[in-house]
Amino acid sequence: MDTSREDFGIAVRSAFLRKGTKQRFSLFVLSIISILLLFFDSMESKPISFVRSFVKDTIYRGSLIVSSPINGFSYVSKGIVNHFQLYSKHSELEKDYKILKNSISKSEFLELENIQLRKLIDEQTSSSNNYTSSRVMLDKQSPYLNSFIINSGSNKEIKNGMAALDGANFIGRIIDVNFFSSRVLLVTDLNSKIAVITEPSGNHAILSGHNNKPITLDYLPENHLISNGDKVYTSGKEGIFSPGIPIGEVKIVKKKINVSLFSELTQITFVNIDLGAPREKK
Amino acid sequence: MAILIKNFKSNFVSLVPLILLFFITLNGMSTVDLNFFTVNIHFILVYYFALRKPELLGNGFIFLSGIITDVIHGLPIGTTALTLLVVAGAASYVRVVTVRISLFTDWISFIPTLLLASLTYYFVLNFSDYSIDYIYLLKNSIFTLIFYPILWILISALLNLLGESN
Repeated sequence: MDTSREDFGIAVRSAFLRKGTKQRFSLFVLSIISILLLFFDSMESKPISFVRSFVKDTIYRGSLIVSSPINGFSYVSKGIVNHFQLYSKHSELEKDYKILKNSISKSEFLELENIQLRKLIDEQTSSSNNYTSSRVMLDKQSPYLNSFIINSGSNKEIKNGMAALDGANFIGRIIDVNFFSSRVLLVTDLNSKIAVITEPSGNHAILSGHNNKPITLDYLPENHLISNGDKVYTSGKEGIFSPGIPIGEVKIVKKKINVSLFSELTQITFVNIDLGAPREKK
Repeated sequence: MAILIKNFKSNFVSLVPLILLFFITLNGMSTVDLNFFTVNIHFILVYYFALRKPELLGNGFIFLSGIITDVIHGLPIGTTALTLLVVAGAASYVRVVTVRISLFTDWISFIPTLLLASLTYYFVLNFSDYSIDYIYLLKNSIFTLIFYPILWILISALLNLLGESN
């Protein structure tokens, strides 16, 4: 028994402490460095943040360069597929065009009427949004974090917690800011919890992501009046996001209240970051 | 000339694991998701080379590829590095205690290795306040185990083709 225990100890020591042929570091030393890095990663100090930002920016750029052949190939293959679907798409678009042409005159009239009515109630029609636009730099599907990298960081005054929008629709928030890049945590991620309000039912709830499963509305009151098609907006109750940013609409499936997003998260190329929303604690 | 070609070939063969490792790392392809299937190629590569050809894949490179994966996937820096080192450690242990290595013994010893790696992931992410999908982690481990022999054969065939004998 003692001998087998000794053998086990020798084997473990040999595996972790000894440097093998052509090995410069032992596994034990590297494991200790990894643990130290994990420790430093949780620390917030200026020099560490500076180094972290520099390292992350460098790796993002490197990854962008290395993945460019694969991205190029996927772009070309999509182009080929689109080319073969050209005729059917053209027919569909022709039909859509006819329908749209008929509805344009109707919508123009409604728009005019809307402006006149707004003027009547003295509503401010000009937008007070303070957005900065960024391009999606890296969209690597991580199994553990639904997020992507954008090509703006602290250089564009982006800060943690700011809302990320696709057009005017809410899609996530900033969770990590570097000099020239930031990470957007998408609403579909398991770690995403957003305070929302439903319209017209007017219920407050928490929008929870579940990675690959549909997004749900949690913490609703027992006697809620939510029905299919209700719109979901940020409530701004947490004091981070501006209230009234559209997110999606309710889809009730087997008594479970799911939310279907207005934006298709896999198709996003540009995002708007709402710079005016956060109220920084000083 | 013949010596030059031979040297080039030998250098290229010794670089194949590194090229493979950093290609999947920088492309963010550590885990391949195909609808229901999800396979961690990173684990398989590290385990294979740490067990069979440790001289071709240094521990430092394994560590570095883990750090890059963490940055690209937005995990706390050090998580994947530590997990990959655990995988490499387990493979080194198996190499020390095993006399005759075969696909079957590799495969069987990969089960506790995957368990250890998943445990490391769980502990590190739990302490870092990250919520993770445990069902996904389990599914990923199972499919990685199932997929291991296929990649084992593919890598062995590739090395044989390039003239690196098993």
